[in-house]
Amino acid sequence: MRRLPVYLVLDKSYSMSGEPINAVNQGLQSLVDMLRQDPHALETVYLSVIEFSSEPIQTIPLTDLMTFQTPAIKPDGMTGLGAALMLTAERIKAEVKQTTADTKGDWRPLVFVFTDGAATDDMSKGIAAIKGVSLAKLIGCAAGKDADVEDLKSFATDVVQLDSNSAESIRAFFAWVSASVSMTSQNIEGGGGDAGGELPPPPKEIQVINLSKD
Amino acid sequence: MVAPFYQDHFFFEHGSFNNDMLKIRGKDKEGKWFAAPNNQFKFLDERERGNWLSYLQLCLRLSRAVRRLHAAGLAHSDLSYKNVLLSPTTGQVCIIDVDGLVVPERFPPEVVGTPDFIAPEVVASSHLEKTDPNRALPSITTDRHALAVMIYTLLLLRHPLRGRKVHAEDPGEDERLTMGREALFIEHPADASNRLSPAEAKPTELPWKDPEALPYTITGPYLKELFDRAFMEGLQAPRKRPSADEWEAALIKTVDLIQPCQNNDCAQGWYVFANTTAPQCPFCATPYTGELPILNLYSQRGDSFRPDNHRLMVYSNQSLFAWHVDRTITPNERLAVDQRSRVGYFVQHQGRWFLVNERMPALRNAQTGEDLPIGSQIELKEGLQLITGKDPGSRLFHVQMVNG
Repeated sequence: MRRLPVYLVLDKSYSMSGEPINAVNQGLQSLVDMLRQDPHALETVYLSVIEFSSEPIQTIPLTDLMTFQTPAIKPDGMTGLGAALMLTAERIKAEVKQTTADTKGDWRPLVFVFTDGAATDDMSKGIAAIKGVSLAKLIGCAAGKDADVEDLKSFATDVVQLDSNSAESIRAFFAWVSASVSMTSQNIEGGGGDAGGELPPPPKEIQVINLSKD
Repeated sequence: MVAPFYQDHFFFEHGSFNNDMLKIRGKDKEGKWFAAPNNQFKFLDERERGNWLSYLQLCLRLSRAVRRLHAAGLAHSDLSYKNVLLSPTTGQVCIIDVDGLVVPERFPPEVVGTPDFIAPEVVASSHLEKTDPNRALPSITTDRHALAVMIYTLLLLRHPLRGRKVHAEDPGEDERLTMGREALFIEHPADASNRLSPAEAKPTELPWKDPEALPYTITGPYLKELFDRAFMEGLQAPRKRPSADEWEAALIKTVDLIQPCQNNDCAQGWYVFANTTAPQCPFCATPYTGELPILNLYSQRGDSFRPDNHRLMVYSNQSLFAWHVDRTITPNERLAVDQRSRVGYFVQHQGRWFLVNERMPALRNAQTGEDLPIGSQIELKEGLQLITGKDPGSRLFHVQMVNG
């Protein structure tokens, strides 16, 4: 049974203090609650959480939905986005099963990167590392006006922007992530092929950034 | 415009385990909840599950619904466990999302279908333009594939084509080949290369994900024959796929082969009795003990009685119906009201088996010619022959006694 690995890479730098970080914690909980109500997701989806500030840390290794325990994320430090990408690439290489001649591996992972700032470290190594792993989608989410959309554009396959990092927007974002994961878990097995399909339309709080290279 | 409305039994009453930990109470009973071992046995509340007989009934009602759709010349085109609501506790089925309905030459297909249920020829040609003559599109024959997959999945809780064989390194490409051009039945007797590997299953998924332990033959001879056609010949030759009508007829006969498991704690509760030297429940391995009467059904063709390839495995308090005593009657939506209640029942008393005649006015013993009036109790013994009436479709029951 192929698993659908989902990595949530979440910014917990100081700028997220207060209402935003509470909204992220609640958003994660409701994301898990929603996915557990989907019998397709229950069978295939595995979740991991990678938090980052000055240093990244994988709080929850790739875990099935029933075992998954929502972490309590606390804010600190800077926005080390480059290092977070490095760690994500490393963990995917270690945790996602590759297909071999006689065993089926996992589906290609879905990665969501959520940030409300601009990277404070050098991103080049992280970008090279994440581009070196095979992903279905890497969705970058810029929360609010201070988030650097350009940072995300340099590595993501899709970029979305929240109006603000208010609790309401963050909740809407997690609901959309849950819908995206649900939809992917139902469609991946399709004749269309892979997890690289379409995502559901985002709610009004989320704006999709056009990535066409001009 | 008709707004969709479903009956209460299509919504979870108890929901999931541990006082509805998943918070699904009140949500609709999407088929997928019942089509995978973990979903059904680990996550659902015990009171939502039903038993194996309920799943046979669900399959029967599903076949009936699809048969009627097809008889009207319509194809659903997206039959899947996402688009059926199932109520195992009442045996009821509701097909939803008929927005992809295909009317040949009038409404062309718009959807390709849902993963797991798309016919191999549709998967294999999905890269072609819709106008390409080689592109296969949803139709009644692709619905037949979906129906076969659904019946197999609901009775055996595994997918008939998802085995261990790897066709390509890329998961998407592997998927297209597994479900399309290279589709291969996981239980193909002559080609074991796509067998499911029980070693890769979770303990809670066994024995379902181990076809050696729980082969598809446990569904009985009538369904086995149709599965063979659907998943061996029918994958590559869509015209060979059994019709909904054939599934319905085979399921009706299979219900008559069923026995209650003698282990009160058996999660499945019922199984198809296989007349072997050591009959046992395939789910919990409890052996059948005691004496079991089998009625072999014959009916008249010209001057002689011929076998109808239909048998009834008797259990205590089992009912005998109009369609058992008359070959021309089929239990379906056209059944007259007076044909819906039983005409007799079976009972075991002090180790002896009896048939109690409730509504068969012309029942008689074929060998002695003795009339067996309404209200009489007939002891079942090896070799006994009963004639159920004087109509052209009336049956002859030939009794066989088996010891477990």
